[in-house]
Amino acid sequence: MDEPQATAEPHPDAGWYRIRIQGRLEPRWSSWFDGMSVLRGDDGTTVLRGPVGDQAALHGLIQKVRDLGLTLLEVTHELPDASTGAGS
Amino acid sequence: MSLPLIETKLFRPSPRQGMVARPRLQERLDRSLGAKLMLVSAPAGFGKSTMLVEWLAAAESRAGSTVRGAWLSLDAADNDPARFWRYVVAAIRTAVPGVGEDALTLLDEARPPPVEAALTTLVNELAATEVECVLLLDDYHVVDAPAIHEGMAFLLAHQPDRLHLVLATRSDPPLPLPRLRARGDLVEVRAADLRFTTAEAASYLNETMGLDLGRADVQALEGRTEGWIAALQLAALSMTGREDVSIFIAGFTGDDRYVVDYLVEEVLQRLPEDTRDFLLRTSVLDRMNGALCNALTGRADGRGVLEALERDNLFVVPLDDRRHWYRYHHLFADVLRGRLLDEQPALAQELHTTAATWHEQEGDIAESIRHFLLGADFMGAAELVETLLAAFRRDRREATMRDWLEVLPLEVMEARPVLGNALAGARMSTGEFDGVDELLDATEAWLESGARRPGPSTRGAGVDDEEYRRLPADLAVHRAALALVRGDVERTHDFALRALDLVGEGGDHLTRGAAFALRGLAAWSSGDLATAHASYAACLVEFELIDHVSDVLGCSITLADIEVVQGRLRAAARTYRSALALADRHQTPVLRGRADMHVGLAARHREADDLAAARLELARSRELGEQAGLLQDAYRWRLVMAGVREAEGDVEAAIDLLDEAERLYVGDFSPPVRPVPAVRARTWARHGYVDAALDWADQVGLTLDDPLTYLREYEHLTLARALAAAHVRRGDSTDLAEVVTFLGRMLAAATDGGRQGSVVEIQVTRALVLQQVGDEESALAVLDAALEVAEPEGYVRTFVDEGPPMATLLAAAERRAPSAYVSRLRSALGSTSAARPSSGRTPSRHEGPVDALSSRERDVLRLLGSELSGPEIARELVVSLNTVRTHTKNVYMKLGVSSRRSAVVRGKELDLI
Repeated sequence: MDEPQATAEPHPDAGWYRIRIQGRLEPRWSSWFDGMSVLRGDDGTTVLRGPVGDQAALHGLIQKVRDLGLTLLEVTHELPDASTGAGS
Repeated sequence: MSLPLIETKLFRPSPRQGMVARPRLQERLDRSLGAKLMLVSAPAGFGKSTMLVEWLAAAESRAGSTVRGAWLSLDAADNDPARFWRYVVAAIRTAVPGVGEDALTLLDEARPPPVEAALTTLVNELAATEVECVLLLDDYHVVDAPAIHEGMAFLLAHQPDRLHLVLATRSDPPLPLPRLRARGDLVEVRAADLRFTTAEAASYLNETMGLDLGRADVQALEGRTEGWIAALQLAALSMTGREDVSIFIAGFTGDDRYVVDYLVEEVLQRLPEDTRDFLLRTSVLDRMNGALCNALTGRADGRGVLEALERDNLFVVPLDDRRHWYRYHHLFADVLRGRLLDEQPALAQELHTTAATWHEQEGDIAESIRHFLLGADFMGAAELVETLLAAFRRDRREATMRDWLEVLPLEVMEARPVLGNALAGARMSTGEFDGVDELLDATEAWLESGARRPGPSTRGAGVDDEEYRRLPADLAVHRAALALVRGDVERTHDFALRALDLVGEGGDHLTRGAAFALRGLAAWSSGDLATAHASYAACLVEFELIDHVSDVLGCSITLADIEVVQGRLRAAARTYRSALALADRHQTPVLRGRADMHVGLAARHREADDLAAARLELARSRELGEQAGLLQDAYRWRLVMAGVREAEGDVEAAIDLLDEAERLYVGDFSPPVRPVPAVRARTWARHGYVDAALDWADQVGLTLDDPLTYLREYEHLTLARALAAAHVRRGDSTDLAEVVTFLGRMLAAATDGGRQGSVVEIQVTRALVLQQVGDEESALAVLDAALEVAEPEGYVRTFVDEGPPMATLLAAAERRAPSAYVSRLRSALGSTSAARPSSGRTPSRHEGPVDALSSRERDVLRLLGSELSGPEIARELVVSLNTVRTHTKNVYMKLGVSSRRSAVVRGKELDLI
């Protein structure tokens, strides 16, 4: 799986995203969500986090959230630099 | 039929016994029978389908009910409009047998499929039946093709009262929902409505599942699952046969894990090892039967296991009455797939490949390709796609082909260049040109490298060899088409020729037909009519050999247009007639292009001054209906009708029709050699609306000094006529010498180009202008030359349309050398003036515009006196805004005013209002 790199991203537009959903999702859903990290929040929510190729890929992920009947809370864009400090 | 239908997609599940009765939803569902659309929008597992199945069965079985349900389960492959609409029609036919034959024919016939025409015939047929048809599209959220949503919007706008649409979906479709909502045409059932209430949960858990839970337990479960039906079902399964139900409930409600994760875990843990393994392995399938399951599990008990799963309510859904095909409930399948992917990713791929191989052996190549792609076996997918290229090209399923090809990795595409070439063709045929150059370049590089084709595939040996043989010619056709789209006539011509060279005599007819058509268009655009004609004639032969009748009709229009310019009127009429005869030999109910043939014949009758016959052909074209016409038919019909009305003396009606034609104009690849505005300007010039004609000339920016090209020939001649008309109005003839010189240049160019039809028109104009400058001698000589060319082809209206000045000339000609043809033209002129009798106010070319207002102009003047705006006046009179403007302009001119206010004042003074 890709680890966040401190070096410059080859595609400046290929960003990282955080998708926050209601409830606690098992970490094993990572492969289903194209290798996104599954991070448990302390407020009863789960964050899927990782690099997303383009908008079409992002919509694909959101569609998977929908198809599992999960409640989508928010989608945020993260700059690659910011992600290195988070230490996933 | 080109596309086999998968029956399971049309299968409507039967209501299951002992389900929870939901009277609170009943009333709302019934209301959908009075609305256009019912939207059932909620996530997976909310019981959408179950609710609809129950409701439909109840609605159908009510006493005296004429309700019939048409069920269609959609999947991702339905994003191909041709496929989608074929299935919709097939579904409706299960409810209303016998309808939709014409619609299916239309959908098969052209690319992109003429969806609106097909839906129009279907809607008309449904309106004529007694059945209240409920068309239910399940899983509409899989649709993401904008073209399909557009078709749905069209259907909603034209829906008969007896057709009711129901969409079950996980997300709201991009349809005009707010508008439907505002008009009360939309009934909605959403997640909040579908959630089980505590009472419904109790009824389900205790009565349907026989669990005997206390109120507190039911409330706890309902709260934890938030009434999500799929979760309650899983919970019930986990509790069935369990001693420690309250421990389970405590554990479940005290946990914050995603409910489905928690419950599937519970359910799976309680299943025997081999059943769990069965579920995981077969979860990769969208549809399964015993044999297919066996292939994936390596066991022999597939059918028995599926039946047992159905008995135990383990989320399998039967897809037919015979307990043959099943699927898992979508949510359950997704959860199982998620586990499989996490635990054994390699196995998931292997299972897809196994499923692909099974489907290939069963002959379901499309499903096989889907599994190869899911299993990331791109070579396997590519080999199969290659074997389908010819069939899919024939059946015009480029959209599906494109979906597959777009996901193949570049290296696979590069290794199998026929695929890159096919992708280029599929993109162009779906109207996209991005990246096409690159794909064609790659194909060409491969051809030039002399690389050998990849080893013959192990599948369908020989099928794909043909694809490699035709590759060079196909590539050239694609290059020619791309050049044409970009307006590069020279390259179009060169590549079309190269394609013809490569494919050779007697080679693939489709390639040859396309190449001939492309060469014809290139030649026509550059004014080389002889080559254009020969190319189109050859193209017709090729398309006829492969029964592409609709293409033959389309090309016949072009061929006849060329013949008219060549002055071969009789040949043009023959071209239309033989195309019609071909259409008759094909027993197709509706054939696109047929209406156009009648319009073409009408134009020929009009020229021969047989106006009754022309009207008859136009009426025939109308009777065949919109779906029998090509896109250009709407405006061409009005062009010809305008000519008929003008010949009958109703110039105003003619101008109105030309205005409409301008609005309805749709271009195609043919060069626009007779633009509608120029046709209208010529009509204006002929009837004394000189300013309007001169305005047109200003707008197009043509001058007498322009270099002459065939593409602007019609407009240039119109310019000459507008200038001559201006001279008539001014009553002098200075500067007409320039026009005479200009017409001389035009004549030389048309003669050189072999455009005898243009020669007749130019000579008629020259004769009139020469007469205008007082050179009767030259005028008569020119007229003689025109008559000589025109007589054998039976021209009449080209002369007669010119009215009194032509009558004078013809009379002089007859005095010199009487002939049957001239006396025929003269009598046609006589009867025409007799046909416009009474008022005597018909504008004469020499008087300028009429003084009195026409009835239409009076209507406009009356409305100018009201509060209505221009567009409102247009609506009131059911004409276009442009038409209103033209009338207004004439009113101002005739009343000698320059504003609406003064027009009204003047109109009142003259008792016109």
